Amino acid sequence: MTEQFTRREFLQSACITMGALMVGTGGLEKAYAASSTTTSDTKMPSCDVLIIGSGGAGLRAAVNAMKKNPKLSVVVVSKTMPSRSATTMAEGGINGVVDFSKGDSYELHAYDTVKGGDFLVDQDSSIKFCKAAGEAINELDYLGMPFSRTKEGKVKARPFGGASKVRCNFSADKTGHIVAHTCLNDAISSGVKFLMDHELLDIGVDNGRCEGAVLRNIRTGDIAPVRAKSVIIATGGYTRIFWNRTSTPYISTGDGVAAALRAGVAFKDPEMVQFHPTGVVHGGTLITEAARGEGGYLLNNQGERFMKKYAPSKMELGPRDIVARAIETEIREGRAFGQGLEAYVLLDVRHLGKEKIIKDLPQIRHVGKLFENIDLVDQPMIIRPTAHYSMGGIDVAKFDDMSTPIPGLFSAGEASCVSIHGANRLGGNSLSDAVVTGKIAGEGAAAYASKADFSAGKRLHDLAFQWNSRFKEVTSNSGDAKAMYAIREELGAQNWDNMGIFRTQAKLTSLSSGLEELQARYKTLRIPNPNPVYNTAFTEYVELGNLLLLSQAACLAASERKESRGAHTREDFLKRDDANFLKHSMVTMNESGKLQIGWRDVEITQFKVEERKY
Amino acid sequence: MKFIIERFDGKKSYEQTYTVEKKDIEALTLLSVLLLIKQTQDVTLNFTASCRCAICGACGVRVNGHAYIACDSKMTELFEEYKDTDTFRIAPLANFKVISDLVVDWEPAMENLRKIKPALVAKSEFSVKEGCRQNQEEFDRIIKQWDCILCGVCASECNKLSADNSDYMEPFVFTHAWRAANDSRSKDPMIHVKPSVTNGLWNCVHCQECANRCPKHISSADDIASLRALAMRKGLNSGVGPAHAKSFYTDLVEDSGRLNEIRLALRTEGVSTALRAGTAITLMGAGKMNPLEIFGGHTIEGHKDLVKMIEAAHAANKE
Repeated sequence: MTEQFTRREFLQSACITMGALMVGTGGLEKAYAASSTTTSDTKMPSCDVLIIGSGGAGLRAAVNAMKKNPKLSVVVVSKTMPSRSATTMAEGGINGVVDFSKGDSYELHAYDTVKGGDFLVDQDSSIKFCKAAGEAINELDYLGMPFSRTKEGKVKARPFGGASKVRCNFSADKTGHIVAHTCLNDAISSGVKFLMDHELLDIGVDNGRCEGAVLRNIRTGDIAPVRAKSVIIATGGYTRIFWNRTSTPYISTGDGVAAALRAGVAFKDPEMVQFHPTGVVHGGTLITEAARGEGGYLLNNQGERFMKKYAPSKMELGPRDIVARAIETEIREGRAFGQGLEAYVLLDVRHLGKEKIIKDLPQIRHVGKLFENIDLVDQPMIIRPTAHYSMGGIDVAKFDDMSTPIPGLFSAGEASCVSIHGANRLGGNSLSDAVVTGKIAGEGAAAYASKADFSAGKRLHDLAFQWNSRFKEVTSNSGDAKAMYAIREELGAQNWDNMGIFRTQAKLTSLSSGLEELQARYKTLRIPNPNPVYNTAFTEYVELGNLLLLSQAACLAASERKESRGAHTREDFLKRDDANFLKHSMVTMNESGKLQIGWRDVEITQFKVEERKY
Repeated sequence: MKFIIERFDGKKSYEQTYTVEKKDIEALTLLSVLLLIKQTQDVTLNFTASCRCAICGACGVRVNGHAYIACDSKMTELFEEYKDTDTFRIAPLANFKVISDLVVDWEPAMENLRKIKPALVAKSEFSVKEGCRQNQEEFDRIIKQWDCILCGVCASECNKLSADNSDYMEPFVFTHAWRAANDSRSKDPMIHVKPSVTNGLWNCVHCQECANRCPKHISSADDIASLRALAMRKGLNSGVGPAHAKSFYTDLVEDSGRLNEIRLALRTEGVSTALRAGTAITLMGAGKMNPLEIFGGHTIEGHKDLVKMIEAAHAANKE
């Protein structure tokens, strides 16, 4: 170690010498310049279009809002640096029909999507979505996304769960990472401004109209209202309600969905959470569906490819809800390995050969080594389902501009619910959703902002004042942080045990009272850190509040939906019940903060509702 | 085991030592250890993390002076690397402004990324509607650089940035410029090369530390060297850096095959600057150069082969 430091010191002194030699040549280039934006100001700006979230959806929204009307000021808010999003974690691919030569079409993609979503999909939205998804693939290619390629130099696709044709376009097994960075590069080159390290606390709605948002500058601790003509919520999903049994990043705490719910927008289909079949046993990180798309086997403790019992024609490539239930059934019926939360089945890709694994599945090989000390080349991976995607989200009334029922408020990506995915999302549709709905929301919000004026912002000021008081009240030099983490752990475990893959009325009733008890404990929490500077404990406190609220909404809808559909399996109501529940659950919050449930009919246009078989 | 963490609360810097049992952390990653400390010992400790599986780049920190992404660093590997030390020193990434504890400011780096226009500008035969065409080899050529997760490890290791960041950018910025410039779909690599040149491309000191520690095994140093060659091929020849490179080439190929350090200095800096800087005198004093060789030295053995090798490399590069 000493040697390394010496070498380092030597090199640095060498650099200083080099620098001295260079003097006189680099004057002009030293324009390291005052090109910095207003982003580091402590004073928060007003802007025309305020986008919360910097994943694929937020970034596409920003670029397209600027394109739609270059005169508008567009700002992207992120509680981290823009490339830390859940988008980067998607692996397998991005759906979209670009090759029509083998009988594929937008309609067929839409049909697979509707069927995959167990007919809880708004069919009109799904058709528009699939057309836009196909177009988005070529657009991403044009923007510089490096796709894996066919012999003809076209974008390469692989088979994926629930799809009747090959249309899951990919870039090795890092498609999400590549999409995220393509979108980020485009946003950076297009001059999008970022407010990094800023957290959404609330959305201001007054006189039925969106006024802007209350943001906390995490760096300084300043909590301030930001007025905006239109706001786009693209904060991603809320699967962190399962805390450590989810594949999503720590930051997927549904902040935007919770803020929208508090601001009076309905939380649509909150009970619809997708469980991905193949999560890492320890920590829930994902092993991509591409492992099965490329030909991987699922094996129980008899060495049997058990999917033949559950989806004989599709086998391992059945849709995610069916495969996840199959694995949990094998575990419950004693045909798995391990016990309790440590139970697992095997995912075997060894027969694909070392070369293919290294070339096409490098990321999952790395994850296997990192979390379980398993090299997929030599050993089968140990896996168990993990919460993965939020089909539910902020009620978006209109696909054409991704507007919510509140004028000036838009939503896109996983945070939104325009009912493309219904009760179960198809693998590969999430990245398409992010880039497609992001773009539409950006254009919609820009069109709205071009005509709108700023509102007075009174409600925003009140909310900012309340949050400032709350920070002072909650943080102090005393208090017990362990209590906060205990609530978060218990929340995850209770949600997993009672609102996981198999649900019953008894479990959900017990969860409901469990959540009330956790809420009561949350209200008395005190965080022993009064420092306003980058107080991550307070960030976690705010996130936990959101997770509790969203869990309650999901629990309410899960109790009320007395049928099994897609990812929502009620063991006490095993059949799908189209007569009563071919409807979206709509959870809203009333004036006194109580959650209520309502229903909205599913839009059915060209596809007949039928039994879902694979 | 002791973890000495360098802290900053927005006003003052200090060190804080946390003690954990080795058996409790043996199976963990460094990120899990940081989470354990935060959740059980000190909630005021600040750091950033998001994906926990080495794809989002949020959790870069330094361990005993060197940069790692915490979620991708198993403690067992760190024990091995640091020979069973009982103390680790954890610090924020170097060459970034510290905001709080292990949290650093990414804004200047983002502004640097802006300078090199990281997005592809596609050739005119391609369109939004039809997309592009690229063969697998062309894809393979750039895909390694697309592994970059903006974790900042290379920047933390960069000796040039430590010495003087006023005329240089983070190594990953050059890697972003490289991948855009070398994409077969790109209309004009100069869109990315020019701003690289004007923002410090020639100031890299080849220490290779960025390449040594990149968690994705990308060599920004190679990308920088490759961008320099591209810049010169495209006629960006003026300035100290290109002159320095050309001097190497002239000596190795056209002259003796031996690097003539006196002429290198003269060609690079020009006669007056070199004399003022005393380079030649210093070199002579160090016994590195016979002053008479300013007029040319004796040719090395196997010079023809060397020239052939360089020409072959040249040809390969042009393909």
